[in-house]
Order: sequence, then C-alpha cells, then structure tokens
Amino acid sequence: MNAKSFIMLLRRETWEHRSLVWVPLVVAALIVVSAILSTNVTNSIEIRFDGEDAKFFARLAVDAAKQSQLFAVWMSSLILPLIVVGLTVLYFYLLDALHAERKDRSILFWQSMPVSDTATVLSKAVTALVVVPVWIWLLSLAMGLLVFVVVALKVGGTPLAPLGNFHVGTWFALQATLLLNLLIAALWYAPIAAWLLLVSAWAKRAPFLWAVLPPALLALVEEIIFDTNHAAQLFVYRLTGFFKSLFGVGEVDGRGSAEHIRESIRNADLSALPLLGELHLYTGLAVAAVLLYGAIRFRRWRGDA
Amino acid sequence: MTTPIVRASNLHKRYGKGSVALDGASFTIGTGRIVGLMGPNGAGKTTALKALLGLTPFEGELTVLGLDPRRERDALMQDVCFIADVAVLPKWLRVSQALDYVAAVHPRFDRSRAETVLGKTEIRQRSKVGELSKGMITQLHLALIMAIDAKLLVLDEPTIGLDLLYRRSFYEMLLNDYFDHERTILVTTHQVEEVENLLTDVLLINHGRIVLDSSIEAIATRYVQLITSGESVPAARALRPIHEREVFGRTVFIYEDQAASELDGLGELRTPSVSDLFVAKMSGGVQ
Repeated sequence: MNAKSFIMLLRRETWEHRSLVWVPLVVAALIVVSAILSTNVTNSIEIRFDGEDAKFFARLAVDAAKQSQLFAVWMSSLILPLIVVGLTVLYFYLLDALHAERKDRSILFWQSMPVSDTATVLSKAVTALVVVPVWIWLLSLAMGLLVFVVVALKVGGTPLAPLGNFHVGTWFALQATLLLNLLIAALWYAPIAAWLLLVSAWAKRAPFLWAVLPPALLALVEEIIFDTNHAAQLFVYRLTGFFKSLFGVGEVDGRGSAEHIRESIRNADLSALPLLGELHLYTGLAVAAVLLYGAIRFRRWRGDA
Repeated sequence: MTTPIVRASNLHKRYGKGSVALDGASFTIGTGRIVGLMGPNGAGKTTALKALLGLTPFEGELTVLGLDPRRERDALMQDVCFIADVAVLPKWLRVSQALDYVAAVHPRFDRSRAETVLGKTEIRQRSKVGELSKGMITQLHLALIMAIDAKLLVLDEPTIGLDLLYRRSFYEMLLNDYFDHERTILVTTHQVEEVENLLTDVLLINHGRIVLDSSIEAIATRYVQLITSGESVPAARALRPIHEREVFGRTVFIYEDQAASELDGLGELRTPSVSDLFVAKMSGGVQ
C-alpha cells in the first residue's frame, strides 16, 4: 500500500459518502449568502458578555487594530456551524462506513483487491479525523474571507469602517490556530470515532442503536449496582472535554470563568495546545488503537455469513 | 501434473453448532488448469472458496501460491482475483470510478485493456452501477478482473441469475480474452452443463468432502457409461455400476474402474459427461 493507493482509498470514501463534502459546503454557502443579504450591519452586530449589554464594537472603537483583531476572532466563530454539521455527518458516516459494504455485499468486491483490512479501516478513520476537518477548515477560510469582504463593504463610510481593515498576520495566525485545534480535536475524539467504526464493523443490524446502547447500559448498571457514575462521567468527559479544555467552560476557577473566555478572545488565544499535555488525550489514543484493531479484525471475518 | 497452485488437505469448517460445511476436504489444483468445483447447494463449494481466499477461518492445511490464506491474505491478493457473486459492485460506484480505483490499488491492472473490453459493451463510463442491468454489472466486473494479470482467478457462481446470452458471452470472454494456460481458473457452479466443455479438471464436492478429483482426460479412463436394454440389464447390473437410470426405455449405467472388456457386448459404451458423473456421484449409488 503506497501513498497513491491510500489517497485513492480516501477519494473512494468521498464518492460513497458525498454528504461529507457537500453538507458543510452548503452550510458555508448559506452563511455567505445570509451575510450578503443581511442589511443594517451597523445596528445588528452586537455581542453580549456577562449580561452587560455592551455595544461590542462601539466600546472598542478607540483602538482600530484591536477592533479588527476582535473582528477576526468573531469571523472565525463562523466555523462553529460547520463543525456542528460536520460532526453530525461524521457520526452517520462512521456508523455506515463498515456496515453498508456488508449490507450490499460489496465487501466481497473490496476484499478481492489487494487492499488490507488495516488500510481500509485506517482510510475511514483518516477520512473522519483528518480529511473532513481539513475540508471544513478550508471552507471556513474561504467563507471567512468572503464574509469579511461583504462586511467591509457594508461598514465602509460608517463609524465602524475600521472593522474593514484587514490584518493579514492576525488573520492567518487565527487560521493556523483553528487548523491546529481541529487536529488536536481529532486526537481527542479518536476513541469515539474508533468506537463507531468498531460498531459499524460488528453490528449485523441497527448500528445506530449499538453505538449508544452499550455505553448507556454500562452507566445505568453501574448506577444501579454501585450507586456511582464513573462510567457516565468518563463518557461525558470524553464528549465535552475538548471544549472544556478550550474554554474552561463549567469550571469555577480562573480558567472556567467568563472572564477567562473574554481574555482568550481579547488575546486571540484559543489554542488547544495545552490539551497535548493532558494524560487523558493519550489514554484516549491508546483506547482508540485497541478499538481500531478490533474493527480491523471484525472486518476481516465479519463478511463471512 | 504441473506445480500445484493450491494444496488443500483435510479442511474442516463448521458454522455454529452442527452445520458442517467442510468435512475433511482435500485436493490440489495445478497451474494453468480450469477447474470446476461443483456440488449441490450446501455442499461446501462457497466455503471452500472462501477458505482459499482467506475470507473464512477453518481447520486443516491449505496453501495457495505457497501462502497461507489465513495469515498471508494481503500478500495473496496481489496474485489472486475473484468474482464472488454477481452484483456485488456497489450501486453508487461509477464505471469511471471503478476503473480509477482498481488502477490505483492494483499494481497488475491494465486500464486500457479493461477499457477495450468495456468498449465492446453497452456500458458507459459515466454510468453508475445502480443504473446498469445485472448482466451489465457482471460484464463490468469481468472487464475489471480480466485486466488484472493474476495467477489465480476464482469465480463463485459468476453467472447466477443471468440470462442465457450473458451467460454464454461471459464464458466466451473468459476463454477467448483471458485464459492463456499460465493462469489458473477455479469456478464453482451448480449449473454443470454450462461449464463442462471448458473445464480441464473437475472437483465434485458433497457434504463437505471431495467425491471426485479428476482431469477431464482421466475421466475417460476411469469411468464408462453403458447404454443398454432388455435382457442385458441384469448382467450389467451385476457388474456393480455406481449409478443407474432409465432414459426412453433404455437403461444407462455408469461404472467406476470397471474393465471395458467385461462390459463389451452388453450394449453401447461411451465416456460419461461431467453432468452424468455429477448426477451419479451426488445421488449416491444405484437408484
């Protein structure tokens, strides 16, 4: 399996699951169109912090450079809708990835080619954890630039005109941070992706049910027998841990406060790099490796029925 | 006999409890042969092929091209190709994508060859598999597989569900454009008449065991069919035929390892066809 073959495996995934490509694209296009159609930008842009009801941009109009920086941060938040739809299509993709081929028996064709089960399963994991995040990042880059141009044109000649100043360095530093965050998020969520692939490779039917049922049952049984909720906490931590670490949401000390979020945004510092220092990231990767190994083993023999 | 490409000895496989698919099957397949693996439904044909292709676990000793399919499947698939069934190409795949895919992942694929074969059919490169008829999907699959320079081609009921024209052209394409005496073809089917004229070797399987493993030439030396009627019938029956049936008032006996001299004068002698032998072996003795 050389690089050319592996890239073909990734392309194959986008042929079969075209929604991975076009759903985020449509959402990005909608955001750009709504930016173009929106009127009265000067009145409608308002961000609230801590219920202060502050007119965000008006208050900061004193420092044009700072203002544009903030603006860039705000622009980058446009990626969030893309991430939400991206996660949704990825959930369905991962559960379908090793299930559909057994259902339509095309696995017999794929296995007649000199492509190992390992390469196949890895190509699906890489599609979910690298290809789609990078695609979403590229879309957000293009979308952000377009929206920026639209808004710059609209604020021209108003007191908010400095918002149209484009700070190249700030912009690209932000994009680099976003890309880095997406890849770190991929590492954090790798065990979930691997679990979904395992279910997809194993379940004879209803993979959607099997994806949720065992963890839910485990948590329930633990609750009933031991009256504890370690399993539930572990699952919730894995689902929300990345954003917790990023924004410190829900914690009482400094990192979790609204003040901290505001500081992060003000300093354009939203990097998820600190997560690389967390042990949980690495235990998660070890779990992901075991689950992927299981998915590879299941794919090898599971078509045999 | 040329160097064997497949050596199987004492293969065992059971599904779940009770249902035995392979029960001590042993056979060898020589290079450059066209071997028909035939048996009734549930005889173990498909399981034997799956074992060869490393698609199912089993017990026993098996090497294909010197490799163990259980452990060395990835290496094996460089030199082995198979068509498992009709219509296993996924519906969403475009013909052009199928060509792109195989060209990228298979080092022995000759794309122009596949395109030439496809050019002789009605299949358009833009079409999706889901838009093609069953016969066309088989043509596409065969065009892809024939353009791969594999040492062993395995076909499992490749024409099941196809109409006569497609079945005929399938085997014609295979013989005329693919087979070249360096390659080995293993085909399973329960439609014996369809393939018996192109085979060099026959493997008959029943209840998970090989009941006949012979080249077509060797059939003529080991088996003889006697067609007779009237008072010769009791004498013929006394010589212990392996099978007996009535056709238009005449009785047809098949003998195994029976000296032709003993049968002389009892009636008309000829070599049984593969279909005749199939029926004789499967029905298990005199009826």
